[in-house]
Amino acid sequence: MEFLNFLLILWAAWLAWRRPEREPLAFRLLVVSCLLMALLFLVGTRTSLVPGVNL
Amino acid sequence: MTVSPDRLRSVLAWVVIILTAGPPGVSVVLGVVYGESPCVLCWAQRTSMILIGLVGLFVLRYGPRPRYLGMAVLLGAWGVFMALRHSALHLARDVGQGFAGPYFGVHTYVWSWVIHWTVLVVIGALLFLLREDSVQNWPREPDRTGRFALGLFVVVVGGNAFQAFASTGPPPFIGQADPVRFSFNPRHWVWSLGEWGPAPISWRGSWTIAEPDPAALDPDPAHGPLADLPSLPVSKWEQIGVPLRGALSDLARDPSSGRFLAVTDRHGVYLLDSTLSRVLHHVVLDPGYSIDLSPLAGAAFLGGDTLAVLSTNKSFALLQPNPEADADREWRHFLTTDGSVSELRLGRFATVRARQMYVMSLAYDPAADELVTVTVPSPRHRRLVVSRFARADFLPVSELVPALAGGLAPSGPERTLADYVVTGAVVANGSLYAFSAAYSTLLVLDPQGRMVRAAYAIPGLQRPTGLAARGSQLLVAQADGRIAVLERPAP
Repeated sequence: MEFLNFLLILWAAWLAWRRPEREPLAFRLLVVSCLLMALLFLVGTRTSLVPGVNL
Repeated sequence: MTVSPDRLRSVLAWVVIILTAGPPGVSVVLGVVYGESPCVLCWAQRTSMILIGLVGLFVLRYGPRPRYLGMAVLLGAWGVFMALRHSALHLARDVGQGFAGPYFGVHTYVWSWVIHWTVLVVIGALLFLLREDSVQNWPREPDRTGRFALGLFVVVVGGNAFQAFASTGPPPFIGQADPVRFSFNPRHWVWSLGEWGPAPISWRGSWTIAEPDPAALDPDPAHGPLADLPSLPVSKWEQIGVPLRGALSDLARDPSSGRFLAVTDRHGVYLLDSTLSRVLHHVVLDPGYSIDLSPLAGAAFLGGDTLAVLSTNKSFALLQPNPEADADREWRHFLTTDGSVSELRLGRFATVRARQMYVMSLAYDPAADELVTVTVPSPRHRRLVVSRFARADFLPVSELVPALAGGLAPSGPERTLADYVVTGAVVANGSLYAFSAAYSTLLVLDPQGRMVRAAYAIPGLQRPTGLAARGSQLLVAQADGRIAVLERPAP
């Protein structure tokens, strides 16, 4: 999944630089990549979502 | 103070270059050259840094639009959270016990916190320097530094993509909790679906521990985890003859003077005479001063005039009657005081085996000069642990899970000592006596807590909360202030 996310990031960077008129799509890819990154982190921490210390 | 869009764009390009070449770039080198592989949480944090770099490229290309700046702040804040969550797994461990290797003396998950926090600071500084007309006057074409930043970004993300493919595989494979070192040999690649496996979703995981509630316990000895226990009758009843602030939560007796120490669940501490009918000294601790004192649940005389009181979260206070107590100094310690008590020390017991468990009892073993606590099991941590702490430094001496002596048998296949909820303990006559409010059972252990030698059912009690010894008698204190007197069973 991490590999997929880096491909999305490369795609967004390429659009922003080589196809600047496609900014809406590039930005959507950025948002999707952020959500995927957050999802993967939550998958790894779902048994204790907040830090395991005295809060 | 502001700077021109051209100047600001140049600064931003260098920020992107540093952020890209720094952690994400160096990490690829460390992975490929030294085999260092990120775990699933590290991957997310590394991706977050790359995404912040990508937002920087968007700003270089399209100008400082609000949604880019908002996204950068969100990524920085989320990155700080991820780093704190990840670091919490390791920060409290012993010296040097981090996860994977440190760099410049600091582990990667801590570097992640520093970097994301720095990103937020840099964003704030750049916004501070931004001119009102920067959005309109932002240059349309990137300059040489910007193009270099983009080229570097593509190379670094490409390197990360390659490392991610080798280390974690294509979708749906995902990063691992314990990643193996990087290898160019595909036979050594580990592509795992382990993190997708079923697991409960929880806010706090093993830290989800409900505070103990003795009122909710089943007092019937017949339902207890040990079968065929002999009964020990209550020989008579006594009563604390003075009003207390809150419910009585433990009772201790000083064998040399006959005085009693009573504590309540509302932080009341009472030194009583030998007849339980006169208050010699009393205070109400301020639970908000210094360390957090949850409701008091344990009391013990430590010899001389030193009194120890313990809260359910294993925080303790040492007190001493002192006719010359400094009222101004003691004001901070007590909500109420008779003016003749000093606080000697506040502290917290640290435990390992009993960690993440509350206690509701405190005993003092004068022969070993050690304090003794017994844990209250919870659904998350089903253990009964006897912990001993040195009086000299209040550090742990031993933490044992008692075994059952021959002659004692569980009443069912799933029943264990962890079904008991010990609310009172005392060391007397070479034994540790522990009273469980659940199933109204008296446990008799060796002083170290290695083994339960005997157990007795005590019918007829209501909310027993404390245990004290008086000569050949055991005194079971109830929350309502009544005291059940038992003849101590022969060892």
